[in-house]
Amino acid sequence: MEIGRRHAWRLEAALALLIAVLALLSLMVGPAGLSPRVALAGLIDGEGPAGIIVRDIRLPRTLLAILIGATLGLSGAALQGLLRNPLAEPALFGAPQAAAAASSFMIAFGFASATSLAVPLAGIAGGLVSIGGLVAIAGRRASLTVTLLAGLALASFAGAATALILNLAPNPYAALEIAFWLLGSLEDRSIDHLTISAPFFVASWILLAANARAFRTLTLGEDAAASLGVDLSRMRLTVVVGVALGVGAAVAVAGSIGFIGLVAPHLVRRVVGSDPARVLLPAALTGAALLTAADIAVRMVPAAIELKVGVVTALIGVPFFLAMIFSERRLLEGAPS
Amino acid sequence: MNGGAGTTLLQTTDLSVRLSGALIVDQAALTLRAGELIALIGPNGAGKTTLVRALAGLIPASGLIELDGRPLADFSARDRARRIAYLPQGHVFHWPMAVAAVVALGRYPHADAFAPLSDADRAAVSRALTATATESWAARPVTTLSGGERARVALARALASEAPILLADEPTVSLDPRHQLVVMELLARRAREGAAVLAIVHDLTLAARFADRIVVMDRGRLVADGSPREVLTPERIAEVFAVEAVIADSGLGPMPILHRPL
Repeated sequence: MEIGRRHAWRLEAALALLIAVLALLSLMVGPAGLSPRVALAGLIDGEGPAGIIVRDIRLPRTLLAILIGATLGLSGAALQGLLRNPLAEPALFGAPQAAAAASSFMIAFGFASATSLAVPLAGIAGGLVSIGGLVAIAGRRASLTVTLLAGLALASFAGAATALILNLAPNPYAALEIAFWLLGSLEDRSIDHLTISAPFFVASWILLAANARAFRTLTLGEDAAASLGVDLSRMRLTVVVGVALGVGAAVAVAGSIGFIGLVAPHLVRRVVGSDPARVLLPAALTGAALLTAADIAVRMVPAAIELKVGVVTALIGVPFFLAMIFSERRLLEGAPS
Repeated sequence: MNGGAGTTLLQTTDLSVRLSGALIVDQAALTLRAGELIALIGPNGAGKTTLVRALAGLIPASGLIELDGRPLADFSARDRARRIAYLPQGHVFHWPMAVAAVVALGRYPHADAFAPLSDADRAAVSRALTATATESWAARPVTTLSGGERARVALARALASEAPILLADEPTVSLDPRHQLVVMELLARRAREGAAVLAIVHDLTLAARFADRIVVMDRGRLVADGSPREVLTPERIAEVFAVEAVIADSGLGPMPILHRPL
């Protein structure tokens, strides 16, 4: 009767172990290669050059990769649960685009360099404004379609605002800096980036996880879910706000990182099945592992300019996703619309 | 459970529903009593589904609906869900979840937020699977089942909540003749066990065969409410459905035979 429960438990344990291994690797890899022992010693005592590299440079980056990856994976799984559609992804409601626009504005008009804290703070504010706008436009009791359309409009508007900022950037360097920043990167992020964004990630996880069982009832459709006692309006609101807080903060500190939110839940469903409640935790763990791995990969590729992690997730993510669609094609085509 | 037979569980005297300005349900008066299977019949677009959704508390309606003698609006969503099980039209399942997991969703109003299913929940799920003869598919993804099989799983989900009131919107649609009878027998048994059951049924013969009472809806109004013999007359069938019918007596009660559209 509890299909997949044991698989889920094993998968979660395996993913947690994988994340630990990847985190250690992430502390070791970079221009100055460190052995596992040196990296761990640096992490624990914080002394010498190794201590500085590990604690001040690689640790924030590693933790951010884990937190952001987990947030993207969880947001994707939650939105797919809410919309009952495996194609939903975290950028759907416009919060990441609004965060990107606000951050770009800060960089463009000389208020800050791309690594200063003003950028993520503006990004978070932008994300929050977009949530407020969405709730105001769509209304508290809005249907899913209205919420989606309002989100689409906001996302397009924020995208246009970013284009306008690039267009009006006072000098080519600012435009280039924005363009690079938008590609998504965890390079040179400090512990401050972590402390300002972490509360948003945690709030997002709580809001999304609280809806786990309600997602499950939605497999029967909205009417049946409501008849089982689920408050649909409250669920929509908490999910939209939860996704916006988490993904808005993620974009604010790291720029746009695509495909993890879409791919992680798909990967997980192959093992734990389609129960939208049971997908959440493994999808978060998979997202964390994917982003940490991608961030290690960008540091291992020899290049004059470090590859941006958002570019890597998209480059690897798309063919991977296509391959998955092909292998599942028969299943997808056989499924009811 | 027969002690409560005849008790009024759900009642309304002047229920009206407007959707986008149009009056869909017009001052409906209806009483659901414990131990009774009611068939709600009427042509397409009569407002049957809207009436049932309003009775289930899913859409705003004007007029008082009383559940156990108290206004339905005073119940929390969870308490309401424990008292009224609702089976919507269509039998949709969006994710390929296992049949047992789908049926267990019927226990949602009874479970605590983070607790797994209790023994009572499991027993109820198991009874629902057995009653609908779906237990052999318990581990199968529900999306691999045929339309008729899904209809039975959907019914099992609604039965699993073991609510005293069951509102079913076209529970026999897409079922073969045998399973139509199986489902109607199941609903009748549920009523005999003390539940108040209201089912929207399109097949007048099935309605006549199984229902204790038939309620006829036409253009938003309830135009007849009584025993199959009282309600199913050739005149009324002609008036409401625009169909010419003869009423045969088979020994199992009146059996309308429809022979041409008017």
